[in-house]
Amino acid sequence: MYNVAEVNAEACVAQKGCRLCIMYCPEANCIQLDSQNMKAIIVESRCKGCELCVVVCDAAKHNAITMVAR
Amino acid sequence: MANRIQINKEFIDIMPQDYLDLVDSGTFENPNRGWKDFGTATELIAEHSLCAGCPESIAFRHIMASIPNPEDTVMVGSTGCTSLVFPMIAVHNIHSLFGNQNAIATGLKRALAVRFPDRVKDVIVLAGDGATVDIGLDMTLQSWFRKERFTTICFDNELYANTGGQESGLMQKGFLAKMAPVGKRFEKVRLPEIARESGCDYVAIMTASKPSLVEKVIKQAVLIAREIGPTYVQIYTPCILEIGKQSMEGLQEMRTSEAPGERFKFREFISPEAQSFLDGLAEKKKAEKIAATT
Ligand SMILES: Cc1ncc(C[n+]2csc(CCOP(=O)(O)OP(=O)(O)O)c2C)c(N)n1
Ligand code: SF4
Ligand code: SF4
Ligand code: SF4
Ligand SMILES: [Mg+2]
Repeated sequence: MYNVAEVNAEACVAQKGCRLCIMYCPEANCIQLDSQNMKAIIVESRCKGCELCVVVCDAAKHNAITMVAR
Repeated sequence: MANRIQINKEFIDIMPQDYLDLVDSGTFENPNRGWKDFGTATELIAEHSLCAGCPESIAFRHIMASIPNPEDTVMVGSTGCTSLVFPMIAVHNIHSLFGNQNAIATGLKRALAVRFPDRVKDVIVLAGDGATVDIGLDMTLQSWFRKERFTTICFDNELYANTGGQESGLMQKGFLAKMAPVGKRFEKVRLPEIARESGCDYVAIMTASKPSLVEKVIKQAVLIAREIGPTYVQIYTPCILEIGKQSMEGLQEMRTSEAPGERFKFREFISPEAQSFLDGLAEKKKAEKIAATT
């Protein structure tokens, strides 16, 4: 089992300009901006499960990312 | 997007998708590149084996997004955790023998100037604190004394991470590490001050907690090295593994360590020559903006 991040598109406010998780994820090309829906999306194969995205998203009170088991 | 970065048509069907993505949306030949490209463009760094949550990875991403001229940059690395990333970056790079990085960069910069007299070629050293301050200190300092025109970036995690936590010159006094169990007896080496006194025209000490600041500093450091003289950037990239932090705690550790009075509070030294160069750049930018709006 492996933990990866998952974005809840309804809670994500990337359309308002938030890029926190995209800025701070330690892994390159791992959180992308879905430019059609203007939501953050995780490229699971690149996620190391560190949870830093959860920390920055929660600190901004968006609470849009959870860790899920794969 | 880029003209010089092209793929031979014969290779399109056999190259991996990551490579095609780089050719297609890598931010080469884009003078306005920066961290704002994150999430939409392909970054010049791919999957590597650093620990989950390692702040070295964060700093590396911010730096690779910020270097002004990636298609004409050669980076020089050294042994340590950073050497696990170098094979995964889309910029020419050389792995030097541990500690030799500033000597290699010196020869490289001079050779590039002879080989490509009409092209701007930037050289950037990126190495750990053990490589920069302990084993490579001779080469680091000599390159500054000689005013060699390249940028030295030190990923300061205050110990030897890659070999399991030995004491380094940049470790804090009193700090206990796995392989330094009695605690360090000496002060953290004041390398930023030494850099200033040794001939660097630009010195910055910081953490990787703000991509916009990393971008600004790296751009300044590279441009000043290109035109004026040596530059040095020391970035706190805590080794979460060796200081006993969880994978998601690296950012907070950087923020705590850059508070007023703390050892990584942002400081910059800019020589008068470098300052007038930066002023000139700022004026040029302003004039371009005015020209664009009128
Ligand atoms: C010439 C030489 N001496 C010693 C080593 C062993 N060695 C490998 S990594 C390392 C420590 C690296 O520490 P640092 O430069 O601080 O980088 P970090 O891993 O902390 O990022 C050492 C001593 C080596 N590879 N080559
Ligand atoms: S930090 Fe949270 S709200 Fe902001 S873009 Fe990421 S997922 Fe969306
Ligand atoms: S868990 Fe870590 S690696 Fe995975 S998306 Fe979040 S910040 Fe990136
Ligand atoms: S050992 Fe430390 S510096 Fe090296 S990758 Fe792991 S957390 Fe980063
Ligand atoms: Mg180190």
